[in-house]
Amino acid sequence: MQTAQAGTLESMDCIVTVSESEKGRGITVSMEGASVARFGEAIVSSTKDTLKKMGVLDISVSVQDNGAGDLVLRARVEAAATRLLGGDAR
Amino acid sequence: MTINTAGRNIPDSIPGYGDVKHFEGHDKRIPEGNRYGKKNRASFNNKTDKTLPDIKAAISASGLKSGMTVSFHHHLRNGDFVVNAVMDACAEMGIRDLVLFPTALFGVHKHLTKHIKSGVIRQIQGSVNGPIGQLASEGGMEVPVVLRSHGGRPRAVTSGNIVIDVAFIAAPTSDRYGNLSGAVGKSACGSLGYAHSDAEYAECVVAITDNLAPFPASNIHIPQYFVDYVVTVESIGDPAGIVSGTTRVTRDPMRLLIARNAARLIESSQYFKDGISFQTGAGGISLAVAAYVRDAMRERGIKGSFGLGGITEFFVDMMKEGLFERLMDVQSFDLAAVKSIGENPNHIEISADWYANPWNAGCAVNMLDTVVLGATEVDRNFNANVNTEADGALLHGIGGHQDTAAGAQLTIITTPLLRGRIPCAVDSVYTVTTPGEVVDAVVTEFGVAINPRRQDLIDAAKEAGNIPLVTMDELIEKAEGLTGKMSPVETEERIIGVVEYRDGTVIDVVRQLKKK
Repeated sequence: MQTAQAGTLESMDCIVTVSESEKGRGITVSMEGASVARFGEAIVSSTKDTLKKMGVLDISVSVQDNGAGDLVLRARVEAAATRLLGGDAR
Repeated sequence: MTINTAGRNIPDSIPGYGDVKHFEGHDKRIPEGNRYGKKNRASFNNKTDKTLPDIKAAISASGLKSGMTVSFHHHLRNGDFVVNAVMDACAEMGIRDLVLFPTALFGVHKHLTKHIKSGVIRQIQGSVNGPIGQLASEGGMEVPVVLRSHGGRPRAVTSGNIVIDVAFIAAPTSDRYGNLSGAVGKSACGSLGYAHSDAEYAECVVAITDNLAPFPASNIHIPQYFVDYVVTVESIGDPAGIVSGTTRVTRDPMRLLIARNAARLIESSQYFKDGISFQTGAGGISLAVAAYVRDAMRERGIKGSFGLGGITEFFVDMMKEGLFERLMDVQSFDLAAVKSIGENPNHIEISADWYANPWNAGCAVNMLDTVVLGATEVDRNFNANVNTEADGALLHGIGGHQDTAAGAQLTIITTPLLRGRIPCAVDSVYTVTTPGEVVDAVVTEFGVAINPRRQDLIDAAKEAGNIPLVTMDELIEKAEGLTGKMSPVETEERIIGVVEYRDGTVIDVVRQLKKK
């Protein structure tokens, strides 16, 4: 199974790991880390929103959070997904 | 349910705690009753040696039985061996359902988890942190934890609110007749301030030492007439965990900016003059504030009266330099402070009763001009939370937060605006530890918010012209703009922690976390 990653574990960043998912499985998000207790819903909704805007429908996402703000999270999700799809995110 | 003056809706009775006296304002509760006293006892010259062979012998001699209350001090901090050793001995002797009444617990005490699970310990009246805090937060304790400040605890003891059946006092030095010292011995910890009330009020006092000195011991902190038994063990603690090395001033530019803002606020106030008294914590920002204030004192030729609280090398050096006349020390944080309290008569040991108890004829915090504190979060009404983390877990004790905030003329809370994505300025704190009525200013890297009831401080800060003033509303808005809205903490109804204010009223409660 193909996976791709973006981000770091520096404070206020996160590591986003994405992997392929079968057609029709949709977007699944798992997460752990400092702000999950209070920003879990926000993390899931921003992740899905970013992927939908990219036209990605079926993907599995894991967020290892170390206090990333919303913009950082969205950028890491976009970079990881672009890498997975073979795009130029390097 | 009653809504208290800190705006919290608190039940009138809490299972495992009992009837609640509601918080009505920081100086509103009128004391009742008299000071408590332990039973009389007599000793004669037919017994001049109180030593017993081991901890189990002392437990037997003390009359400790299941269901009783045992106390400990935390001067050995994360190096402490005594709490774990005594609880192990109780477990082996089949003693159960104990109320553990420490002045604080540390990471090293995660060992107690098994004694909580097996029922040796039924309740903790004192701070919980790390694994024990997590266990309690998830509902792993049958009876709620009761949190008290460094002044609230001696208030509870001296008023007879809590009766200690047996106090086990770790003593870096003891003689055979029970004169105790914290200043000397291989496990020296300096001040024994938190142990005094326990020694004076516990029905039975057992000293546990790893340095049995010839009678009479030197540098006596707790005298023989309070101590019933003495036990010598191989080691009472690990020196590396008892005292820290030198704590360094932070080099993080953001934290230095916060510290500089706080120092300027102090310098702008009416309190920055000869005779100023001062307390800070030992954390990075606090120490940096002290460093900036010290520089300003040198520059303007100002001499302070006393430094209070947990004493560090930084304060010892300020006294040596003549920037303070005295140090009043309830807890010695590092090696330099331990050495100083043993040598310098101007470095005075004070008990927790003397330090912070609101129910006596005047405690030390009342004479404080300025205190610099931290918090996990503050809110629109300047309420401060130091007990719970963002996820709602009860992970920290109160320390002297409520006491020094209430006592000092100028109470400053320093905090970064964000910790990771978690905002530290919020609409309403998750737990009120210290009410906003005793907090004067919140200092962040985005500006200084002064409590509107302190117009004098606002005027002085404006006149100084070098302090970035903001309102609390602006700080909260700024924080939320950066982080987005937080989801609420999901909890059960069940109360797992009761936060007492220093006068014994309940200021807030902590509820069990919902299983994920």
